[in-house]
Amino acid sequence: MEVNEFINQNLIKMNLTSEDKDSVIKEMIEIMAENEIITDKEEVIKKAMEREEKGTTGVGKGVAIPHVKSSAVKRPAVAFGRSEKGIDYGSMDEKPSYLFFLITVPEESHDEHLKLLAKLSRNLIHDDFRNSLLEAKDEEEVMSVLENI
Amino acid sequence: MKKIVAVTSCPTGIAHTYMASESLEEAAKKMDVQMKVETQGSVGVENELTDQDIKEADAVIIAADTNVSKDRFGGKYIVEVAVADAINDAEALINQALEGAESGKKSEVDSNLYSQVSDEKSKRKEKRTGAYKHLMTGVSFMLPFVVAGGLSIALSFVFGINAAEQEGSLAAALMQIGGNSAFALMVPILAGYIAFSIADRPGIAPGMIGGMLASSIGAGFLGGIIAGFLAGYITQWLKKTIKLPENLQGLMPILILPFLASLIVGLLMIYLIGPPVEGIMNGLESWLQGMTDANAVLLGLILGAMMAFDMGGPVNKAAYTFGVGLLGSEIYGPMAAIMAAGMTPPLGLALATVLFKNRFTRQEIEAGKPAWFMGISFITEGAIPFAAADPIRVIPSIMTGSAITGALSMLFGVGLRAPHGGIFVLPIPNVVTNLGFYALAIIAGTIVTAFMLRILKPKLEE
Repeated sequence: MEVNEFINQNLIKMNLTSEDKDSVIKEMIEIMAENEIITDKEEVIKKAMEREEKGTTGVGKGVAIPHVKSSAVKRPAVAFGRSEKGIDYGSMDEKPSYLFFLITVPEESHDEHLKLLAKLSRNLIHDDFRNSLLEAKDEEEVMSVLENI
Repeated sequence: MKKIVAVTSCPTGIAHTYMASESLEEAAKKMDVQMKVETQGSVGVENELTDQDIKEADAVIIAADTNVSKDRFGGKYIVEVAVADAINDAEALINQALEGAESGKKSEVDSNLYSQVSDEKSKRKEKRTGAYKHLMTGVSFMLPFVVAGGLSIALSFVFGINAAEQEGSLAAALMQIGGNSAFALMVPILAGYIAFSIADRPGIAPGMIGGMLASSIGAGFLGGIIAGFLAGYITQWLKKTIKLPENLQGLMPILILPFLASLIVGLLMIYLIGPPVEGIMNGLESWLQGMTDANAVLLGLILGAMMAFDMGGPVNKAAYTFGVGLLGSEIYGPMAAIMAAGMTPPLGLALATVLFKNRFTRQEIEAGKPAWFMGISFITEGAIPFAAADPIRVIPSIMTGSAITGALSMLFGVGLRAPHGGIFVLPIPNVVTNLGFYALAIIAGTIVTAFMLRILKPKLEE
């Protein structure tokens, strides 16, 4: 199981245009829809919003990781987006978020997928990892940062 | 070296569980503390704590948004927090855990009792939100009946206040639709759907029957609420308790549950619960009808403040349910006060964003425009974005305005026959009595709210 089975350059958007939480979630889900990773966009949006209601996934340190577990997801995937200006995501530390990881997994997932996602989440705690994502110039660089986790 | 064991867990178990774990491990490394974190995520339990680990540990951290059993940690000092806290400030948590352990709070009894109490507390809390949810389900199913009934009755008065007494007239027909049918169904529907929310479909029959009884013995909406909960929980209990052989299982929903539950609820309502509740309802009704001005103002103040306090939350809904329930007893004053008081928070905020621009952010001034519309539509929730941004100043402001509106509405003796609709129901003839004064009450509260905000909110720097 490699990182590039989850994410590729098509799933990366370097300049998110959204300015608020709801639209950035939709913008990220749009990426998944364009790449045919999900079958029902509305359902996925609904699930993502429900998850946010239980508690924000804006985990602070400029990172937000909205995630969805749903039968409308074909395969586990991660979309990455970056916002230059930062978006008020209702984060735990009340600061804007710059790095967005949308994680989608099907209702039934293999443990190894989940373990890799867990590893990605663990890396987000590290300053170096976040900084290299913030500084990455293009999709290719983002991929190489992610592949090295 | 000190040792801490921790458990992290979150609802989906994909991301936060692991971020919290990593954050704790990193912080521990920095602080030179030995740390072992068990993650309870979607993969299941990983890095499971052994008895040896727990025995060696000085303290325990549980960072979880799910229920993590504390049985294993008897005798240890436990810090229990949300998973987010571990992600954000793991160092503080570790310090807290070590200091707690140091202070010697680790006697077996202590920590077990502590965990029992907190378990019990969280269970109760769950129940509370449960009951609230059931009540709101009932109310939401009841509302259409109240709307249809209230408006039909109001229309019948177009032909004169006693026109409905003339048999065969259109006014009488409208009264038959509204008063005799729609309003008669109100309490049974309320009770039926409270029970439905608790016990699913089998709850509906005993709930409605209980509600019907509450209605006919004069226990009103209070009796209906009690009947609904009784029916729901009794049905639920019967479902669990009665064990039938497999080939007779089919009889449960079709024969046994409806019959037994209705019988129990019915008998309880008639002999035990009905009479005292009827007394309470009669007392309440006659107090409300014969209220002095001072009492009316006081009631209006309280109901008004409740409407604004949490803007659509439980307190607001409690006041609202009270008002709607009383419509069934043909008492229309509180409903008027409640709707008016529910309209002024967004209206007052909207007005303030126009008058006192320098006290609001540009976003808030933008949000003021839809707030007008939400206000006139009686959507109190329209005030939430403002209140969320600055609760300490906004909530007292809107509560003051709503309380004044509620009090004025009661003082002017305004009555409202519709349970919702904002200004859009007001043009329908006879829905509201004393329309002019009602408008005055709403405008007064709106202005008071706006000026309270002017006083409480500081000027913003550009």
